[in-house]
Amino acid sequence: MPEVLSSEVVIIGGGVIGAAAAYYLCKEGAEVMIVEEDDLAAGASGACDGFISLQTKQPGVHLELARESSALFPSLAEELDDDIEYSPCGGIMLATTAEQLKELKARAKKMKAAGLEVETLSPSDLKSRLPEVGKDVKGASYCAQDAQVNPIALTLGLAHKAQEMGATILRGTKVENIVVTNNRVREVHTSSGSIHSRRVVCAAGTGSNRIGKMIIVDIPVMPQRGQILVTEPREKMLDVILCGAEYLGTKGNIAELLPQDEEAAKLGLGFTAEQTASGNFLLGSTREFAGADAATTPEAINAIAKNAMYYLPWIKELDVIRSFAGLRPCSPDGLPILGTVKGVKGFFIATGHSGDGICLAPITGKLISELVLDGETSLDIEPLSLYRFK
Amino acid sequence: MRVSGRKEGGETRVDPWSQAWERAAAGAVAVVDCGERIPCNPCEEACTRGAIEVGEDICAPPRFDPGLCDGCGRCVAMCPGMAVFLLDRSVGNGRARVTVPYEMGEEMRAGREVWAMDGEGKPLGKARVVGAKKRGGRAGTTLVTVEVDEGWALKVRGVRDRLITLEAPLEAEAEPLKEYPLCRCEEVSGPRVGEVAAEFASLRSLRRFSRVGLGYCQGRFCQDMLRERLARAREMEEGEVGTFRVRPPVRPVKLGKLGGEDA
Repeated sequence: MPEVLSSEVVIIGGGVIGAAAAYYLCKEGAEVMIVEEDDLAAGASGACDGFISLQTKQPGVHLELARESSALFPSLAEELDDDIEYSPCGGIMLATTAEQLKELKARAKKMKAAGLEVETLSPSDLKSRLPEVGKDVKGASYCAQDAQVNPIALTLGLAHKAQEMGATILRGTKVENIVVTNNRVREVHTSSGSIHSRRVVCAAGTGSNRIGKMIIVDIPVMPQRGQILVTEPREKMLDVILCGAEYLGTKGNIAELLPQDEEAAKLGLGFTAEQTASGNFLLGSTREFAGADAATTPEAINAIAKNAMYYLPWIKELDVIRSFAGLRPCSPDGLPILGTVKGVKGFFIATGHSGDGICLAPITGKLISELVLDGETSLDIEPLSLYRFK
Repeated sequence: MRVSGRKEGGETRVDPWSQAWERAAAGAVAVVDCGERIPCNPCEEACTRGAIEVGEDICAPPRFDPGLCDGCGRCVAMCPGMAVFLLDRSVGNGRARVTVPYEMGEEMRAGREVWAMDGEGKPLGKARVVGAKKRGGRAGTTLVTVEVDEGWALKVRGVRDRLITLEAPLEAEAEPLKEYPLCRCEEVSGPRVGEVAAEFASLRSLRRFSRVGLGYCQGRFCQDMLRERLARAREMEEGEVGTFRVRPPVRPVKLGKLGGEDA
């Protein structure tokens, strides 16, 4: 007979969202068990860049979440024992056409109205902030509150701290079924045995769909592939997180900023660049629907390289040492799905971050902790409910 | 001069060395002295004329066709194991020219007198540099050509600017290093890997969290040690440990080249 376990809260998923939820729940004194099919950060959290980007969020609840989340990072950097390589470095978004620049200026105004400082920069302003940029760059927007973190270290740091506060992490453990009786979650069946629990948080990323089916709820997340190139480590050359306006176009589905090139549009190509604490450049990225295939492709690798040279001509001299791809849990509108499920008490959803998981992990963890323990949240998450799609 | 036959897989093949020796009478040709079963193929990539072939099994020792070789020396510069040199017997008079890779930093120029070294690092004798060409990448390999007696021609594997000889044996043995780097690219020590392996049971996770194999060499030099560490820490059979997921590019490539710019 397998051992029968029990826990006040079971979190399904050991990615950054599950780890953040565990951390904030443990801080409130809850008893937490993380059930992870593979290992910590084995999915999207371990295959992404470290952008904490505010200026690329949509004004409204999305930006609100990002602002609250970004405010939590400095304290996490303090509280966690692992070095999460957090750097409040600021972020720049580059425009390469007059139309893009116009759109970025308009957005900067909107962001300001929403309470986020975003400046527009002329090409001469850029000179002081960036190494040489491509000749087509017409200007940029700058957000001082944009920042950078090591996503793998962040996931590990949150999980370690949660563990220190008493959380249990079951690795290599697959959830097989969730038992609901009298409209309430009672039990989670796993490959390591049964866990009695009245509260279950689904933070399973692209696996959330499968988990939802166990309680007959459709959690609409699709795996969206993002491919990234890694260069050799170099001395510090880039001290902001950097993206092109087309990145925002693809991400936010903003018509004025979508890539014009057909191939690029098909790949969901958008330029991103950051230099990590270890000196490597991470160059992105794509947004493709390719099922569960997390392989990198020659077309995307070539397109990302070409795009990176277009924005940063000097980067062509660096050696590319690796490529990787992650599957982001993508929701229909690109916003996370947070909240409860009608008719199933004790089931909480925290998924669908659509490529914003790292940035939004702290606030998601905090809100989930509030929701699970108090039934209400400090920020209105109604617009993020599963039922917005109906 | 006769070159002794070599055996491979129990069966004697036509010795590529004798072929190269014959071919060297007409001018420079590569001699590939590699029998290592390791995942390595820069020589194949380096050769623009298809004279070197590793093939599907990246661990197979390279096959070399001296007939296709034009003695350009790219493979000499590219081989990370310094296992390729050029031989040129066209000078005659019982003399031969040997071209070897040199990465010790000093400027090598024609006319300089250096020590010719054998494959075990022992000096064969003095030799005169007759040519030096910079080749390849950040490593800054120089191809140094020395002229030597034909009798040494197949023995020379390197040159040294000066020799350091120990007059007397060291009195005490040095303390064994405790913190040796298991991964040189990311400077991760053996003990650190042990710590991470105590928490993470899969090779993938061990790589992700220790950073071993995420550096410039992408695990080409450290993967086996990491696998062995993991097997030991977790009492697994080496076969259970698995291997790294290899993602393109397999070797470091200039971003410009990937982006379609002519190299």
